[in-house]
Amino acid sequence: MNIILRELKASIRSFLIWAGSLTLLTVVWMSEFSAFANDDSMLEMFASFPEGMMKAFGFETFNITTLTGFTGLVFTYMILILSIHAILKGNSVIAKEERDKTVEFTLVLPVKRSKVVLGKLVAVAINCLLLMTYLYGLIMVLGQQYLPEEGFVKFFSLLALGTLFLQMIFVSIGIMLGCVMKQYKRSGYIGASLLIVLYIMSVIIDFSDKLEFLKYITPFRYFAPALIKENMALDWTYIIISIAIIAVSLCIGFITYKKRDLYI
Amino acid sequence: MNIYSREIKDKLKSAMIWSVSLFLLVLLFMSLYPSFATDESIFEMVLENYPEVMLKAMGMTGVNMATVIGFFTFCMLFAQICFAVQASIYGFSILSEEERDMTADFLLTKPIRRSKVFFSKLAAALTALVITNAAFWGSTYLCLSLFNGGHKYDPKVFAQMLSVLILFQLFFLGVGMVISMSVKKIKSVLSYSMGLAFGMYIVSASGSIIGEERLSYITPFKYFEPNSFITEGGYDTAMIIICAAVIVVSISAAFFLYNRRNIRTAS
Repeated sequence: MNIILRELKASIRSFLIWAGSLTLLTVVWMSEFSAFANDDSMLEMFASFPEGMMKAFGFETFNITTLTGFTGLVFTYMILILSIHAILKGNSVIAKEERDKTVEFTLVLPVKRSKVVLGKLVAVAINCLLLMTYLYGLIMVLGQQYLPEEGFVKFFSLLALGTLFLQMIFVSIGIMLGCVMKQYKRSGYIGASLLIVLYIMSVIIDFSDKLEFLKYITPFRYFAPALIKENMALDWTYIIISIAIIAVSLCIGFITYKKRDLYI
Repeated sequence: MNIYSREIKDKLKSAMIWSVSLFLLVLLFMSLYPSFATDESIFEMVLENYPEVMLKAMGMTGVNMATVIGFFTFCMLFAQICFAVQASIYGFSILSEEERDMTADFLLTKPIRRSKVFFSKLAAALTALVITNAAFWGSTYLCLSLFNGGHKYDPKVFAQMLSVLILFQLFFLGVGMVISMSVKKIKSVLSYSMGLAFGMYIVSASGSIIGEERLSYITPFKYFEPNSFITEGGYDTAMIIICAAVIVVSISAAFFLYNRRNIRTAS
């Protein structure tokens, strides 16, 4: 419990910075949406297109004049930022002790190492949860002025829930890297590059049918806005895969940290 | 010279890793091209998968993805993200790492001026960036020759697109340096670098979706948007001037701040 409190207190500053910059971004987005919101001339323009073309340009999935379509589009970037936040936090919560040379102090306290990691995990998870909840509330409130259409609340709640899964995946991977890698400096870089690679995968997936299998590999595709919009539900396969990834990485993390030779 | 060689030894390995990863990135993208270019229907399929707003966000409007240059534009965007991350990491770390590793007092009590320390470090980082840049030119050339799918392309446009990369890198290096000098202590270089690089990317991408012109003045991803080289046939001089101004101002400010910086030592 002490560890959780200590970690939460230590993360207040960085949490405020993250929340502040995300607020700024969201406010800009949501105020820009007024240019599109229920813009009849734009709808008319779309309506004049032949149906095949509508389909070709994907306006059916993402109609930018509706709140659902707009949020679905821009939220992709929010997901990217939240994932970066999650993997960096997960990794640094473990690695910072060695970086700041406080690890010897922490580990001679009369608590098991597994409890230390657990406390840190809980603290980071709370951090991510708070950030997501805050953004959820912010977008909901800012969206009110545009009179959200039916289904928006459900769509966005599902999206937020899916993103939460994604955050937990990246937190666990970050913690695992922090525990497994011998050098704390390297673990951060590996986590960051992994994230970039997964992000690129999620984009090139549509290039070729042969790349279809990537959808199981890159978590960015598990709960993508387009997928949620289409099914109006989270896909159970991906939920199971996510839980498996989280469980496996945390297990590896806990086991290796127990035997870790500290890098001082 | 000693500082330079000490620094470059440190940076060389990282520059190599970045060069190899960028090579793999170009290879991955361009190896997809031949199958893509032969079949027009695949091109249509891609359009179907990407809504136009997404194409806008990826800077792909007005670009025919079936051409070599059009396809490369797509790859270029991701390469830019990598270059941005690398340059920001260097920018944030070169001046601040000594303080974090408690080696600053050792270095600064040597009989050399701070300005010399500054310029040696800057030169080393620049060398590493130039190496990566050159490697990227090489990878592009190689992959284009290997995977052009028999289509013709104009090397001049590619050269134009790549020639501004150095400004792009310097922007992130300079901004990273000045931020690292304006804060008390940088605990984690990586968070700052990822924040700067991806923040700029997201501002650019979401700015394109919502069609906000004003946002384009703050992010280098907009200064050198790859598709503008195709649609407008060159770079925007105004943007180049803004970028150069930011670079000059930020590096001079970092120099000024570093010269008078109060170094926090181990106590």
